[in-house]
Amino acid sequence: MKKLFYLSLVVLFVVFCIPCMTVAQEKPIILGAPLSTAFLYGWDAERGIKLAVDEINAAGGVNVGGKKRPFKVEVIDTRDLEPGVPVADALLAVEKLILEKKADFIVGGPVRSEAALAAMDLLSKHKKISILTTGVLTPAYSKRVAENYGKYKYCFRNSSEVPVMMGDFMAMLDDLNKTQGFNKAYIMVQDVAHARAGGEYMKKALTEKKWEVIDMKIYPTGTTDYSQGLIDSGKKGAQILFLWMDMPESAALLQQWSNMKLKSLPMGFMNAAEQPGFWKATGGKGEYMIVNLVNGGNAPAKITPWTMKFVDAYKKKWGLEPEGYGTSSSYMAVYQYKDAIEKAKTTDPDAVVTALENQDLMGVYGRMRFDKKTHQIIPSWDPKEGAVTGIIQWQAGKRVQVFPPKVAEGKIMLPPWMK
Amino acid sequence: MEIIIYGVINSVILSLMALGFTLVYSIARVPNFAHGALYITTGYIAWLLMNKFVSFPYPLAIVISIGITALIGALIYRFILIRIRGMEISEIIATYAIGLAILEGLRWGGLRGGTFTLPPFIAGSMEIFGVSIDYQRLIIVAVGIIIFASLYLFTHFNRVGLALRGIAQDERAAMMLGIDSDMTAIVSLAIGSGLAGFAAILLLPLGNIIVEQGYAVLIFAIAVCVIGGLGSWGGTILASFIIGFAQILTERFLSTHYMMVVALLAIIITLLIKPSGIFGKQKELEERV
Repeated sequence: MKKLFYLSLVVLFVVFCIPCMTVAQEKPIILGAPLSTAFLYGWDAERGIKLAVDEINAAGGVNVGGKKRPFKVEVIDTRDLEPGVPVADALLAVEKLILEKKADFIVGGPVRSEAALAAMDLLSKHKKISILTTGVLTPAYSKRVAENYGKYKYCFRNSSEVPVMMGDFMAMLDDLNKTQGFNKAYIMVQDVAHARAGGEYMKKALTEKKWEVIDMKIYPTGTTDYSQGLIDSGKKGAQILFLWMDMPESAALLQQWSNMKLKSLPMGFMNAAEQPGFWKATGGKGEYMIVNLVNGGNAPAKITPWTMKFVDAYKKKWGLEPEGYGTSSSYMAVYQYKDAIEKAKTTDPDAVVTALENQDLMGVYGRMRFDKKTHQIIPSWDPKEGAVTGIIQWQAGKRVQVFPPKVAEGKIMLPPWMK
Repeated sequence: MEIIIYGVINSVILSLMALGFTLVYSIARVPNFAHGALYITTGYIAWLLMNKFVSFPYPLAIVISIGITALIGALIYRFILIRIRGMEISEIIATYAIGLAILEGLRWGGLRGGTFTLPPFIAGSMEIFGVSIDYQRLIIVAVGIIIFASLYLFTHFNRVGLALRGIAQDERAAMMLGIDSDMTAIVSLAIGSGLAGFAAILLLPLGNIIVEQGYAVLIFAIAVCVIGGLGSWGGTILASFIIGFAQILTERFLSTHYMMVVALLAIIITLLIKPSGIFGKQKELEERV
């Protein structure tokens, strides 16, 4: 009888008191996340955002002028990375987050450049701050902010952009030119706007540096056979295979490269080679591939004291290492919002814009500061000065940070058949 | 030499992709637009059997996954297509909807990204006339030839195969001889789906298992069948070689990003010049008139 009485008390407590406690909490700050969740750059961003939100809420939430308010995430699938999905669909998703879900701030996407550029007007219309963290690498985004600051001042990006990434690659290639004597490159890119632009940019930059660019091949999305291009590159003596592809099928390229034992080092921006599961998926055939993960912390590295703390927390929550581009930047964007809101003491967008512009935060991948004119995160090769990239090489099943030198944990290795 | 070698490989790959689609159309007269979805489903089933559940050995996972796909094909006919048999537009809509549901269901179920792969039957590569080729591609060519030969023997010398051909040639006459039309359609859907699965098991080790490939395989299967002539086995093989070599030549001498255009352009040209396809019998009389 006594047991029944106590059990009833517990049930009554659960039914009546816990909802009352929830109601008593302050109104949450809603973070709207428009992401293409079926793709790596969408789901890893979602995981990064949710991890940061959980950590912040567990620590008491965001101090908004003396009141502690929790974050709440509303994720919507924009599907903008899927072939054939029109930009308008992604815009509808963003509008839904703003109007229906009552998002206070936007974080993450849209993920495809075309959709993100189109969403800028929508953000401006509704005065919603957005920190872009994944997928969009076009310099046009920051350029538009600089050209029309009054209209687009709500748009920020904390990841990177193509010219910065190319600068990183060129520095690495310069080094390979000096140490190994490499001067012949073969470019293979996917038939999508950012990859073609990346390929063209690289071709121009390499030619200016007196490299011989043997050819640039553009492959349709979904290609699974790269034999002709690879055979051609081998015959013409390419030493660097520069790749820019975001389709998962590109893993086949590395399998063929390894089977053919081509005397060239593959490097570039390759979605398929970012994830920890890439090694198993290619049976180790992707070894020696150098991949740009855009931001540090998207693979284990010791960039700042926060980097490995983040990596370990991510592993604990999601059961695997941060997977690739979009993870650490999405995680950091939530902390950037927290810091800016607390400094502004309000969620008023204009006040938070000013706070973000004046922000100086040591984060997962270095010092986080936005350029006041372009709202682009300030990059650097030194984590004490700015946001550091994450360029890794697959070595014996691990993603080893090889660039920039200040935070490198290993040296670039060449396949044994190249020696 | 690499153009010839990789041209043959590419052609056999295309014919394997289209074989199941052709078989189903030639016998049951059903345009199975769920073909691509069944192809990729087989890959995922094999992967799940090997990696998620009891870690089945590879050969057993192959047999079970192909068996399940064949069963799905049979069930699609028995419970859905049987009700709309003969209404071609309805058949296209129904099979396409089933395919879409399967593919989106796989994605919804979390099977996304590029880390799902099947291991090659034999790892490594060898050189033929100075051209490096991996063993898996050589196996594909060899097994492709065996499958075509087996299907020829099956449909010409086996009772079930002869019944299938009978239905394909004249359904009413075959029914008068006691051949069950619906049962042969079920068998053809099962074999066609099984062939899609078999192609998946052979081809997926070349890359990875991705939902989007279901759509790509369907496009290639349709391209091959339209050019070769719907339901024509000889046409399927010939069209595969035309597209296969055209793609390799385009990649080598024109530009890689026109490779997909080649297949679609070939469909348009075929429809303009000979709508029934190279060896197509359907509507051939109307075209002559």
